[in-house]
Amino acid sequence: LKLKAQRGPIFLTERREMTDIAITGIGIISSIGIGRDAFWENLKTVRSGVKMITSFETDAFRSNVAAWIHDFDPAQFMPFRVYRRMSRISRMAVCASVEALKDSGLSTDIPERERMAVIMGTSYGSSSHVEAFYGSLLKDGPRGAQPFLFPETVPNAPASHIAMFHRITGPNSTFCQNEISAESAILFARNLLLQNTVDVALVGGADELSGIQYSCYDALGVLNRVRVKGDSTPKPQPGGGLILGEGAAVLIMERLDSSLDRKAKIYGILKSGVIAGGIVDIGHYEAEGEQMGRAITSSITLAAIEPEEIDQIDVSANFSGELDRMEYRQLSKIFVERQEDLIVSPIKYLIGDFGGAGALRASAVLLSLYHQWLLPAVKAETLKGDHHQFGKWNLPRPGKTRAILMTSTTFGGGSTSLVFTKMPIML
Amino acid sequence: LHYIPQELVLEKSMNAISTKRIAVTGLGIITAIGESIAEFQDALFAGACGIGPISLFDTAGFPCQMGAQVKRRELKAFLKPKNLKRFSRCDRLGMIAAQQALADSGLVFEECDRNAMGVILGGGAGGMRSWEKYRRTAQDGKIRPRPSLLLPFATCTLTDLIASYYKLTGFRSTISTACSSSSTSIGYGFDLIRSGEQKMVVTGGSESLSELTFAGFNALRVMDPGFCRPFDKNRQGLSLGEGAAILILEDYAHAENRGARIYAEVLGYAINSDAFHMTSPDPEAKGMSRVIAKALENANVNPNQIDYINAHGTATRVNDQMETMAIKRVFGNAKASDLAISSTKSMVGHCLGAAGAIEAAATVLALYRQTIPPTIHMEEPDPDCDLDYVPNHCREQQIRFALSNSFAFGGNNTSLVFGRVN
Repeated sequence: LKLKAQRGPIFLTERREMTDIAITGIGIISSIGIGRDAFWENLKTVRSGVKMITSFETDAFRSNVAAWIHDFDPAQFMPFRVYRRMSRISRMAVCASVEALKDSGLSTDIPERERMAVIMGTSYGSSSHVEAFYGSLLKDGPRGAQPFLFPETVPNAPASHIAMFHRITGPNSTFCQNEISAESAILFARNLLLQNTVDVALVGGADELSGIQYSCYDALGVLNRVRVKGDSTPKPQPGGGLILGEGAAVLIMERLDSSLDRKAKIYGILKSGVIAGGIVDIGHYEAEGEQMGRAITSSITLAAIEPEEIDQIDVSANFSGELDRMEYRQLSKIFVERQEDLIVSPIKYLIGDFGGAGALRASAVLLSLYHQWLLPAVKAETLKGDHHQFGKWNLPRPGKTRAILMTSTTFGGGSTSLVFTKMPIML
Repeated sequence: LHYIPQELVLEKSMNAISTKRIAVTGLGIITAIGESIAEFQDALFAGACGIGPISLFDTAGFPCQMGAQVKRRELKAFLKPKNLKRFSRCDRLGMIAAQQALADSGLVFEECDRNAMGVILGGGAGGMRSWEKYRRTAQDGKIRPRPSLLLPFATCTLTDLIASYYKLTGFRSTISTACSSSSTSIGYGFDLIRSGEQKMVVTGGSESLSELTFAGFNALRVMDPGFCRPFDKNRQGLSLGEGAAILILEDYAHAENRGARIYAEVLGYAINSDAFHMTSPDPEAKGMSRVIAKALENANVNPNQIDYINAHGTATRVNDQMETMAIKRVFGNAKASDLAISSTKSMVGHCLGAAGAIEAAATVLALYRQTIPPTIHMEEPDPDCDLDYVPNHCREQQIRFALSNSFAFGGNNTSLVFGRVN
């Protein structure tokens, strides 16, 4: 294996040293598009998925908007008899996996299924099924509790359905780490691939928006207080609180050498990834973000690149004052030389906040690397809650991108940092 | 950039060829049969039963009204954090186990690099009991429920609490694969130490009884109205339980250098999927067989070297029969007949997200004490389960290597391999 030596992060000489992970397939169900192509086209036009909720009653809440999916039809991906008993989150996850596997070219030539993994991340799994099952117990008593609802209450149901649908019998796991659930899944899958436990991993994140989840967030007072009528465009307040979202994305991950062997299309390379923990009170983001800085610097070092080689930064800003300001503070420290004109891509401003969102953000990053097209971005000052900067997006355009940093932080104190690079040019 | 030692970069790429060994240097546990390691192991080897009537919530109207509930009423007596009132019952159980395990490990935090100390736990229903209180109060409509009851709902709350309370700023993750969650957390902790990413990892899990899971298993009609009787001909299903177990995993060399007590060594693990059904295991036990075989391969242990298996042993007919079939398939009929197999669930019930960790702790104690815990309530053997399940009384015997199985909802299987330390 010989790769063209070039400036930047792409520099490999010997197969046995290879720790690069290639992403060879992407499947997406999102509030800004069903399917990878629709998602990417709408991202390029900075279309927001945030809109008035009509899927459940919101009169009792202080907000009535979310980045929810109004046009999802699982029948486009699988037969009714298959998804009849599935929760919304499981349906989204399976559909994303169908698209991703087909995209990777593996669906018709599936390798040894025992050497494939399914690893997913979700905050809560199917909260609608938890509510429906517990509601049936409260309403009708012990003998009224509906048994067919119960299996879908476990967070690992989406990953299990993906395994059952594709008959994948290798490692299967689900990570629940609030807003870095999908990122945690990506790192565990990388761990399995590097150990040569598996050859292929279907990795992703998924979450559904439900009335009970929305009511709980409303009761905690953490939602952005935005109410709109009809089709009018919601205008969330910077630093004003979360805008919830939903969706699913599945990535096909392989070791770079095996993906090259089968001549797969490669969207980009996961060079490194780090999780670091912070010390914080329950329900809050760590104020200073020391762990975020540690995760970022470690991941850049492990990727064997220089900070100057990071051409774009995908942040996890979600309209909450605590997180957005902390990300600004840490990024300003780390990228001190470009502090004046630092721009970042807060994709959650468009797709909403949920535990599986990291998989959609990673998809956006990989599509950007593949198409060499810059992601929508804003000036970093926007994260400080600067009202003058808010809403001023740098429109996506063609642009060379060598490496993209994807940083994520969750309430509860965990941070992840992933470094993705473009595919090396083959000699 | 902050300074990152170059060795870290090299160690990452050596993940697959690492020869690091992983020690278990601390244990913490709270279950219906014991609220400390000392109490637990006494009860475990004596064959105590923790299953009885549940008082945590109203069970009237359910076909089964029994469970293995932790008896201590004032769980908060163990803990004094300022925001204790925000902890769910699951978090309290987990914090108690973590406190015990970290004390048991003898770690002096001031001498440790806390960035190299991670927390990886498995969880099931997490803070569901707190959410249920919120939801029920809201339903009654008499008073406004406290929103703070919602804070600990997320499964990862305990992971964050332990990490923050003990200022462990390394790796952090929470796995939720129902009944195999905490087993997999031990496996992932093993990986992280073996790859050199962490020196020490707090692993394990916690689970409290909740109305949702209790009603769910009752609705599925898989619960025994009395106490569960794994591998017994007259069994009628499982008994739910609650509890927590924490295992401190540590780089063996690091543990040796500081003169730590080493209970046992983690040698390897495997996870896989039945890819068959959400609630039923594969009727040919293919997934179970493969996960056991893969775990042995990962641990580099020959099947003939295994002396003890801590079975998943839920006491449902399909689980017990499939697990027996899987053991025979991997070990062969002759070796399978020689193996000592027992179900800890016969004593502590099925603790779902914590079950794997509790059973791993029981396996580690079996290796440490060279004594096999029994399967209690075994009166009449099931003809389809014809192996040695160590009925009713513990047995002293040499144990070199042991296996701990966990098979979960959704077909998520995990097997762990432990070894004795001379």
